[in-house]
Amino acid sequence: MNTTENTLKRLLSGAWNLSPAYFGTALLIAAALVFRPILLSGAFFGVILRQAAPLGMVVIGQSMAMRCRSIDLSIGGTVLAVTYIASSHYLSGWPGYMIVLACLCLGLAIGTINGVLITIFRGSAVIVTLGMTIIFIGIVIALARYTPPGEVPSLIRYFGSGRLGGIPIAPIIWIGLVIPIVLALRITVFGKYVDAIGSNPGAAAVSGIPYLRVIFLVHVFSGLAVAVGGLLLAGFVGTGFTEAVVGQDLVLNSLAAVILGGVTFGGGKGRIVGPVVGAFMLTFLFNFLTSFGFDESGKLMMQGGIIAVAALIDAAKRR
Amino acid sequence: MRQFLSRSESRSGLSPSILAIPILLILILIPAAGGFASWENLSNLSSQIAALVIVSLGQMLVAVVGGLDLSVGSVISLVTCVLATEGWPLTLTLPLAFALGASVGLINGWGVAVMDINPIVMTLSSMTFVQGVTLVWRNVPGGHIPKQLPFAAVGQTLGIPHSLLWLVLCVLVLTVVLRHTRFGLRLFAVGGNSASARLNGIPVRRITISAYVVCSMIAVVAGVYMAARIGSGDPKIGASFGLDSVTAIAMGGTQFSGGIGGVASATIGALSLGLISNGMNLLGVSTFLQSAAKGVVLVIAVCAQRRKSVGV
Repeated sequence: MNTTENTLKRLLSGAWNLSPAYFGTALLIAAALVFRPILLSGAFFGVILRQAAPLGMVVIGQSMAMRCRSIDLSIGGTVLAVTYIASSHYLSGWPGYMIVLACLCLGLAIGTINGVLITIFRGSAVIVTLGMTIIFIGIVIALARYTPPGEVPSLIRYFGSGRLGGIPIAPIIWIGLVIPIVLALRITVFGKYVDAIGSNPGAAAVSGIPYLRVIFLVHVFSGLAVAVGGLLLAGFVGTGFTEAVVGQDLVLNSLAAVILGGVTFGGGKGRIVGPVVGAFMLTFLFNFLTSFGFDESGKLMMQGGIIAVAALIDAAKRR
Repeated sequence: MRQFLSRSESRSGLSPSILAIPILLILILIPAAGGFASWENLSNLSSQIAALVIVSLGQMLVAVVGGLDLSVGSVISLVTCVLATEGWPLTLTLPLAFALGASVGLINGWGVAVMDINPIVMTLSSMTFVQGVTLVWRNVPGGHIPKQLPFAAVGQTLGIPHSLLWLVLCVLVLTVVLRHTRFGLRLFAVGGNSASARLNGIPVRRITISAYVVCSMIAVVAGVYMAARIGSGDPKIGASFGLDSVTAIAMGGTQFSGGIGGVASATIGALSLGLISNGMNLLGVSTFLQSAAKGVVLVIAVCAQRRKSVGV
């Protein structure tokens, strides 16, 4: 009994160390090759990558926040606010790059407020960031009164749905930002601090790591990453929207992608790459399911099941 | 005095600043909003907040053991759809609803207590899954709830709205459970320090799982109330309850780190939220701004209770 268990464990141990997102993606692509090869054709694959980009940006901040035993639920509000001001009449006279800058500043501001409330006022991150979402959804709805805002400036639309030599720009921006962030977290002291705080906040504090400042910066950074994600989403959709549900989906999917990527509260293997692959996997999965005619209920059950399986795999690894 | 004003270490989570919110709201609303203190408005308020108070009580139990249950909203939706199944009598649907609720709680509790999965992650997944199941059961709002039930929720006896009876009954039962049973005491022991609870011979896993099961069962009660109130099944009606109940108990001073919480705290938190909406309606604040105002009050209320820990 014990020996078979051990052999099985040894066989699986190599694979164990990878986050579920890699398996899931490999499995999905294999399934797509057999059942829906068209999803892997250049045109379709480009569209899926473009769709994955906003989630892929959002998970970067979420992953860092969760590694520090914090969480960012303000994504819903931030995305809604960013897409709203990008498409509203308030800034319509401004040049495109100024609007992009304004959106990034808004993300930065929301991240800063989150950081201050969490580290200085010590509010629970769940409640504080949830409160920020409630506030910003309220403000946007109050300003827009449910009338959809106008079109997104052409620059942002170009980012979200343009192509550069046949390759969609959104994933280029996404990957182009992911690589330096991954490298920076590997090389810099800041990256080490994030790891240290996640694995043992008490020890990190005792050993002199400025852990409040690190958590603060992680939230500021998350706000910025979410703003980029919001801009890519607005560019992809083409018009602004006032449906809060779009942002809420992003929040839940970001949590799912981070867990799939092997990051858990306070640790885990994946840093940024795992969750980013998780974001791609989820987007690919939704397209795959849609191609089979799954409706909302089927997708929700699948999504819930996948999060549970990813969490169970992670739990089994920790034993 | 300073000690008294700073966050007390009381187990209930109540502090002067928490109690001040509803009292201030009432003191402002009585003169400012005509008709606030009228019997009609108060019974209106009670029917508005009854479901949230009930769900928050369950949410508080889970928070006391250091957890969080986001799946309560989906359970509420599922219950309304189960009860509205055409041709099924209440004698079948009610036990079925409770059985389904208990199994959701059992799975949540198993994942958290046995598999050591983070509660947010675990209940997020069950929330999503149960929402899917609910949509399979009933894709659009509709169906009919057997007649006996609506009377139980919207009727009045001797001028007392039944919603108030539901509310008071749940508050009383939970008060007894929390303060006068071994289970209640053990919840606090597990939430306060699970390692020393285990050393003292408390079956930590069993208590944690029970907390999730009871929380889901209370969500079923809220679901029955909601179904009775609207008279039909609605697959999305509960969607906001998960986060709303978390918001409510946070406003009442319950801590998510475990060991701190109470029936009064959950009730006062839900009441504060209800008063904010009710008051703003009476004052004619545009519905568009109400959500923003609610968020501001929430953030201020939570930040006013300074904790030691940083993060989730």
